[in-house]
Amino acid sequence: MNEYESLTQAVIKGDIQLAVSETRKYVDAGADVQSILDKGLIAAMDTVGENFSTGRIFVPQMLRSAKTMQECMNIIKPLFQEGDVTTKGTVVIGTVKGDLHDIGKNLVSMMLEGAGFAITDLGVDVPPDKFVQKAQEVGADVVGMSALLSITMPGMPATIEALTASGLKEKVKVIVGGAPVTEKYANEIDADGYAPDAATAVVEVKKLLGIS
Amino acid sequence: MAFSDILTFQPRLKVLSSDQAWAIHNAALEILDRIGFKMEHGYAHRMLLDAGCRSAGDYWLKMPSYLVEDALKSAPRQIILYDQLGRKAMSLTNGNSFYGTGSDTTFTLDLETGERRRCVLQDTANFARLVDGLDNLSFVMSMGNPEDVPVTEDIYVYAFAEMIRNANKPIVFIADSGRDIVKIHRIASAVAGGEAALAEKPFLLNYSEAISPLRFPDYVVEKLIFCARKKIPICLPSGSNCGGGAPVTLAGAMAMGIAENLVGLVVHQLSGRGSPFLFGPNVSTLDMKSTVVSYGCPEWSLTQAALADMRDEIYGLPIWSFAGASDSKVMDAQAGAEAMFSIVTSMLCRANLIHDVGYLEYGSTSSLEMVTMANELVAMSRFFVNGIPVNEETLALDAIERVAKGEAGSMFLMDDHTFEHFMQAQFLPVLLDRTRYDAWLSSGARDLYKRCNAEAKRILAEHHVEPKPDDVLKEVAAVLG
Repeated sequence: MNEYESLTQAVIKGDIQLAVSETRKYVDAGADVQSILDKGLIAAMDTVGENFSTGRIFVPQMLRSAKTMQECMNIIKPLFQEGDVTTKGTVVIGTVKGDLHDIGKNLVSMMLEGAGFAITDLGVDVPPDKFVQKAQEVGADVVGMSALLSITMPGMPATIEALTASGLKEKVKVIVGGAPVTEKYANEIDADGYAPDAATAVVEVKKLLGIS
Repeated sequence: MAFSDILTFQPRLKVLSSDQAWAIHNAALEILDRIGFKMEHGYAHRMLLDAGCRSAGDYWLKMPSYLVEDALKSAPRQIILYDQLGRKAMSLTNGNSFYGTGSDTTFTLDLETGERRRCVLQDTANFARLVDGLDNLSFVMSMGNPEDVPVTEDIYVYAFAEMIRNANKPIVFIADSGRDIVKIHRIASAVAGGEAALAEKPFLLNYSEAISPLRFPDYVVEKLIFCARKKIPICLPSGSNCGGGAPVTLAGAMAMGIAENLVGLVVHQLSGRGSPFLFGPNVSTLDMKSTVVSYGCPEWSLTQAALADMRDEIYGLPIWSFAGASDSKVMDAQAGAEAMFSIVTSMLCRANLIHDVGYLEYGSTSSLEMVTMANELVAMSRFFVNGIPVNEETLALDAIERVAKGEAGSMFLMDDHTFEHFMQAQFLPVLLDRTRYDAWLSSGARDLYKRCNAEAKRILAEHHVEPKPDDVLKEVAAVLG
């Protein structure tokens, strides 16, 4: 039995109030914050992800769990020493230049965050150099790009070229997605990964980074 | 009363009470007046401020309801679309329903192999030609998002050119922005015999989308103003789907989608008073497991029936809607069920311009077979909606007397009344199979998908589309460069 079982269950249920009070309880009792994060929160989100993938819960339930986790993170984050918190990886994500659609991209962000990744969300209409600059700045492991319109898809290869030109392409994994994007297209533009939906995006990012 | 005086009741679906309709409308007005909207187009922003909107900072504006009332008064209540030969084709007004295809699918089901593959320009040509040859479909859309266009930024111009070359029915077209719509307008003007002739007898309608919630980017408003000024009919639905672009509850999603449409209408009427504007948002649902926007859900059919009620109660403008589509990946029983559900309900509620016929996979895949099947489902629905004519001829008491009291062997099947009336009295299916089992078996035991495949191939091979004059084709080539 997980020592943080009550917290884990509260996150799985999406009970923000209970999860926050449980987190405070463990913190006040002097529990190690990294272990609250790993064994309490991320463990919960692993279950949530599993429940979602197998169709036992719906998107709003999954997102409520992610939100619950974020509220708990707000409590324990200040307790980590600077640079001390370990994440599964750093992801820079955005909708490519010319495209203003963000629902899909936001879903991917939330799910990756829930899975324990540090996310830098650049928003929409993101030009290639902004992806490059931010990826450099935060030391990104993954750059994620989204496009809803076929006419804005060329923003993806343009960004990949910019990453190559700056020497970053070899250091980061590029993942793409969005309604008109296909696996074939991802291969053609030399992206490292492709995901047709948010849940698969998490699986794909983990795969790209060699995380089980 | 003579029998011939009895009007035929035509079944009509109503899903909202007057109170419900006004409450949704008032909520839309409240959204605009209290929450506002983000107008990123500089010229439109200034125009709206001059007209009486209030600035709410960072491109946001709030709109008083009198601007909406003014725009509703000046927009025409009927939009007439002509075909490409200048003949009246679609009177978009209360009571009339017209069906056509959709746009922008990424994939299509290959007619030869059945394989799901990326769309190419030839697919747009095929869909245009097929629709041109199908009796119950009235307008053409690009259907595909072709991957083989020479210049990606002109993808919609190339698709438009294919439709010009392969159909003469009206076209509902997509453009990216104010840049490519000028090129499309140039081609269309050549087809119609000049810009003035095109404005007088438009054969095309633009489909553009605002971004939910309540956002009006530059490139969208450019098209809106262009169409208003050139008197090209346009619709501006947003993706106000339940739970994605809009609140998850149908009433709230409708209110927001309508609010977005009203902003479009106001900008449009301020830019070209009296120019034609087709009303209506796309209020589908975001599937809560897959996060796709559903094309087979009952919600979208319900919200567009509700919109039709609001049209009748409040707006008076013709409306935009969808039907004949499915979330299924193949043309199976699910596809048939979902397609029929939306086709018959959209007709029962008298939606006016009904697109997306032939979509599979929540709008990601198109299918010529699906379009062919939907053509027959539209005919089936039309038969139903036409109702039961009741008069001396149809009550047929004479025929009853002749057969019942006639010589031995008298039967209705032999009676002149049957011979004279059966073609109108009955729905005569072409593709929906009613053959006896043995006949079905010996003719190859083909299911509906296979029969639609054969029919689509036949039409593509046999249907003649009157080609455009050489000077028009030259202009098309010149615009494509």
